Formats: sequence, structure tokens, C-alpha cells
Amino acid sequence: MDNEILKNLRKAILEYDISGSASLAKKAVEEKIDPLKVLNEMTKAIREVGDGFGRGELWLPDLVGAADAMSAATPIIEEEIKRRGSERESLGTIILGTVFGDIHSIGKTMVATLLTAEGFKVVDLGVDIKAEKFVEAVKKYNANILAMSALMTMTAPEQRKVIKFLEDEGLRKGIKIMIGGGAITDEFAKDIGADGYDPTAPGAVKLARKLIGKE
Amino acid sequence: MLKGFTRIFKPLEILTEEQIAAIHKGTLSVLKRTGLRFESERALKLFKNNGCQVDYSNKRVRFPEGLVEECLRMCPSSYHVGARNPENDMIWGGNTTYFQALSGTKSINLDTWEPKTPTRKEYYDAITILDALENNHIVPWYTPWFGFKNVPPVMAMPEGLAARLRNSSKFICANYSMGCEQFNIKMAKAVGAELRTSMAAAPPLTFYSDAVESAYRIVNAGFILLLVSGSVYGGTSPSTIAGSLITGNAEIIAGLTLAQLIKPGTRVIAQDFSFPQNMRSGSPAFGDIAISLHQTAFNQIWRKYGVPTDGGVSYPSSKKIDYQAAYEKTINSFAGALSGTNTIWIQGSLYGELAFHPVQAIIDDDLVGMIGRFLRGIEVNDETMALDLIDEVGPIPGHYLGKAHTRKWWKKEQYEPKYADRLTYPEWLKAGKKDCIDNAKKEYERILSTHKVAPPLTDKQESEIENILQEAREYYKKKGLISSEEWKNYKKDLKSSNYPYS
Repeated sequence: MDNEILKNLRKAILEYDISGSASLAKKAVEEKIDPLKVLNEMTKAIREVGDGFGRGELWLPDLVGAADAMSAATPIIEEEIKRRGSERESLGTIILGTVFGDIHSIGKTMVATLLTAEGFKVVDLGVDIKAEKFVEAVKKYNANILAMSALMTMTAPEQRKVIKFLEDEGLRKGIKIMIGGGAITDEFAKDIGADGYDPTAPGAVKLARKLIGKE
Repeated sequence: MLKGFTRIFKPLEILTEEQIAAIHKGTLSVLKRTGLRFESERALKLFKNNGCQVDYSNKRVRFPEGLVEECLRMCPSSYHVGARNPENDMIWGGNTTYFQALSGTKSINLDTWEPKTPTRKEYYDAITILDALENNHIVPWYTPWFGFKNVPPVMAMPEGLAARLRNSSKFICANYSMGCEQFNIKMAKAVGAELRTSMAAAPPLTFYSDAVESAYRIVNAGFILLLVSGSVYGGTSPSTIAGSLITGNAEIIAGLTLAQLIKPGTRVIAQDFSFPQNMRSGSPAFGDIAISLHQTAFNQIWRKYGVPTDGGVSYPSSKKIDYQAAYEKTINSFAGALSGTNTIWIQGSLYGELAFHPVQAIIDDDLVGMIGRFLRGIEVNDETMALDLIDEVGPIPGHYLGKAHTRKWWKKEQYEPKYADRLTYPEWLKAGKKDCIDNAKKEYERILSTHKVAPPLTDKQESEIENILQEAREYYKKKGLISSEEWKNYKKDLKSSNYPYS
């Protein structure tokens, strides 16, 4: 029975079935299946989709569809983990958001889902985030990585401001910074002093692992 | 007055009357049932006062059909636009098509094809090139580049506009960002030019306050408003062309309704700036054939609405001046021209919005010449049918080469490209195997050494422009939008012997 639920949950994610994955997650909780085991199975499914994307067999709508199905199930399972007082082993804490003046969220949210699936604790601040708020969150959550997104050329320089702010606060050395978004290039990332950039969501996951030395 | 190119035949149409009616009905339904979100208190009030259903809790505006139809009727279908030099004025609308340069965030190295940040000198030089190109009628915003070295991002638009006004007397555009339109309007008025500024929706179905505030300023200044639907179909609009046309048109109509309510009769132009999504990278799929289909249908619908259109956006995905760039640009600009786009974007761009190069602009100008020739169509009359001449020449050994009729007509019928290689093999080998890129590079040097903007700004205009720039610098510095590091580099740039370079 347990295996059947897990198998179907995995299938729901692979088939982008949002309501199916949420109801299967609820069922898993009702059947008292170890939530860490459930999360592990979901992570495997989303990785499979990410790998398919990496191989060029799947496309963005597939990635986003699977990420949405995963997102529908994750809070249910996380709540159960919390209720049981157990803890998921985390690769590290990542603060994530789209910079001030920029309201684009699709890419950023996709990266958040994949990072969560990978085993990071992700604090998604949302869009249009001011430098002060990023810095405040870095302090509050004692984060390992700060990930910032900017789609527009006009807002990309905001990432530089956040880095400068972290430097002024004496926090820069303790944190790795990765950036992304349509307006970003490798050259720009180097120029503003970020630690890494990748143009794709699965690439961002690999980058995050690399930045914390867990490739 | 710049004449542009007048199409003398029926435009390319791909929708049936029933399909147009269905899309129009769908658009009205979205406007009425779904509505749009407007992040602007004063816009919400204006809509409410004019019969829209406004939900202040989520800033959603639902538009009654009657108001929409009335505001569409208020838009002029054809109008005059004024450049700094009246010889470069235009009339937008009807069967006429004009061409405008595109833009990029970076320049490129023509040997390595790698992107690089342009300098102030390169920025001004590129505008000189665009001013000189015969078939480039408009020098728009962000053109040639979004900014240049040492200029803080918030100053990129005012500095760019100043450069365009200094080095070109063609019709100029400037866009909005962080309130810069207040300085743009002052600069345009100081030199007696009109401006076109966009009011861009944030798809799906949203207008942010900066777009609305800019629209109020531009409409009240009496300038031209370009209403943009910039969706990426599959991401921010439905992945189908029909669905994307509906959301895009709903956005544009909501914008023009606001413009007409602020000031009836405001000159607007509807822009199709939507692209399919590149489902690998998430970026717009620049150069995709769907852009041509979308644009053709868009033109057909907006012709019915009686509003001039802008589009035919010929951004290639290619990073090089190469075969791919050529076919991506040609297909989309040609489809735009054949289907009746009134202002088409083409000269200079590479790799979407990410690169621009003036040498590419020179090559594109030849392409525009060819498209323009096509639009002039075929004259059929006694003289062109040449029956008497055919009779006079008769069969071989007769020929037409030495005839006055040939001398009169061949140049009208053909388009003689300026930069394409059309040499014979022996000539080509002897001349060093030059291609169109080599020829365009040579033209680049020739233009820079000979071209002068006509007329240059007067001393009074120049000093006014500089004062407005200074005002903008102080404004943004006070607002904290120029960091001390940015200001340090910028100040050095302003004090350089090269400043302002014109």
C-alpha cells in the first residue's frame, strides 16, 4: 500500500498532476508513511524531470508543470515532518528573491522548487525585494547562499547594490552569492562580484551545490 | 517629410472575417469578464468615473463594451509625427511603412563575436550611422544600446536621448523608467521635437504604476503613445497565437482606453512586441516564425480598429552577423511589411535585445531597401508594358540594353544593393573576396568621416539639453538611485575631454 502511494505520487509529479500529487501527499500522511521517505521519493521524481530537461528531452513547460505538482505536495509533507518533530537533512539555507523594481517570478519560483527538491532549505522572499530586506533575511536565517534574480537590464544593477550592502554590513565573506535572470551574463556576474551564475534552473541547483562544496 | 514606403497592393491577410470577429469578441470578453489590474489609484478612479467596474481590493478594472468601442473610435487612424528636422517628419498610418533601428544591451566584437560594453564614443558614433542610413526613419529608445560605460543605469535613458538628439535629426523616441520621462519631455520640447513613448503592459493583464504615470505625462505633453503588448506566449500569455492575440489586444485596448480618457484624440500606435517562449531557456524565441504569423494577424485586426501598428520586430537569435541572422530578420520584417505594419523594427540588432552593432544596421538598411522596393509593387501602364518597344526590338538580334526606356526604368524596377556582394567571380577574387560585412565595415568608416547631422543643435539647445541632464543627475542622486561608486565613475566620464562627444 505504502509503495503504491509513493509510486503514484512519483507518477503524479512526472505527469504534472497538481491535484493528484496533493491528494496523494495527504493520503501518504493519513497512511502514516514516513514523511522523509515521501519527500525523498518526490525529490527523486523532480530530479528525473530536471535530468530530462538537461538531456534536452523535456522542455520548460514540463519542468514548470512538475515543479508545480511538487509544490502542491511539499507543504503537506513538510507540515507532517514538523508535526512529528523530525527534521529533514538540509544541504544549507538559501535566501532567494527577485530584486527591487523587478516583478518577474516564473524563473525564480522554478529555481526555488528545484532547490527545495534538492534538499536545500529555501526562504523565498518573493519579488521586488529591496537590498535591506535581502540583508535582513541573510542575517535572520544565517543563510549559506543568497540567490537573486533580475529579468530586466534596468534592474540587474540592483544585484550589485545588494552585494555592496552585504559588504558594508560585513556579511559578504560568510555567504555565497548566485544570480540569475534574463538580463544576466557571466561577465556581469563576475563584474558585480557574485560567486556564480547559471542561465537555467537545473544549472542553478548544480551551482548551489558547487558553491557549498557538495557537488 | 520622409515618405517611407507605400504599399500599393492588398496587404497579406491570414484570418477570415469570422476569425477576426471571434478574436474581437474574445478580446471584449476578456476586458469585460476577466478585466485588467491597474496599479494606479488615479487610473482606477478615471475608469470608475467612465463606467468601468472597478474592484479596488484587487485593483481590477472590467471594461464595458461601449466604452471600449468609443475609445477605439477616438484614436486617429493616421497622423503627423514631428522630428527635430521637419524634413524627417512622417505620417503614420494607412498603407505606409517606416523602418526603425533596434537596440541591444551590448555591442559585439566583430572578430570574436563576444559581447562588450559600448563606450560613450561608440554610442554617439552608432547614432551618427543611424542618422546617415537612408532607410532608417526612426531612432527609438534604447537605441543603439541601453546605456554605455560609466553611465549609472538610471541616467541611461536621459543620456541616451541627449545623444540621439545631438547626433540625429530624425524622429526620436524615449521610454520611461524611474520617472525619467519628465526629463525626456523637457529635452524634446527644448529642441522642438515630438516624442514617442511606450505604455507597456506587464503581461498577463497588468499595468504597473510607472507605465500609467508615464502615460499621463506623455499624453498631457501632447506626444505619441505606443501601446505595448509584450507577452511571451506560453509564459505570460496563452501558448496559442489566437489566445495570445486576445490577451495582447486586451492589454493594448485597456491602455488606449486610458489614453483616450485622459485626452480624447491622443495619437496612439499599437505595438505587437510579443514572442513565443523559447522552451529551453525561458527567453523569448527571437526569430521564430510564429512572430510573423502573430504580426500578420495583429495587423489585420488593428486595421479593422483603425489604429496604426508597430512591430515586425526583427530580432534574430543569432549572435553573429551570419546566415541565421539574415533569415530570421528577413522573414519577420518582410511578413510585417507585407501585412501592413506601419513602423517596423530592424536595423542593427543581434541576439534578441542583447546585442546591437552599427555594421549590422548598415547591412539591414540594404534589406530594408529591398523590402521597400517590393512594397512599391508593379506599375502596369502603357509605358511599363512597352508594347511599342517590344515591337521595335523584335526577335534576336534585337536587344533592350541601349534603349532610353531601359535607362529610365531599370533603376526603378530593381533595387541596387549598396553593400551586398554582386561581383563576378574574377572581380571578387581580385578585390580580395570581400563580403557584405566587409563592405558594411567600409561604409561605417566612410559615414563617420563624412556624415554631419543636419541641422546640428544650436548652442542654446545644446545648453538646455545639458542643463536638463544636470537636473536629472541631481534628481537621481538625491533620490539615492546613483551610488557613490557609480557617481565617481560617472563624474570622471563627465569631466573627460571627450564629453559629450558629438
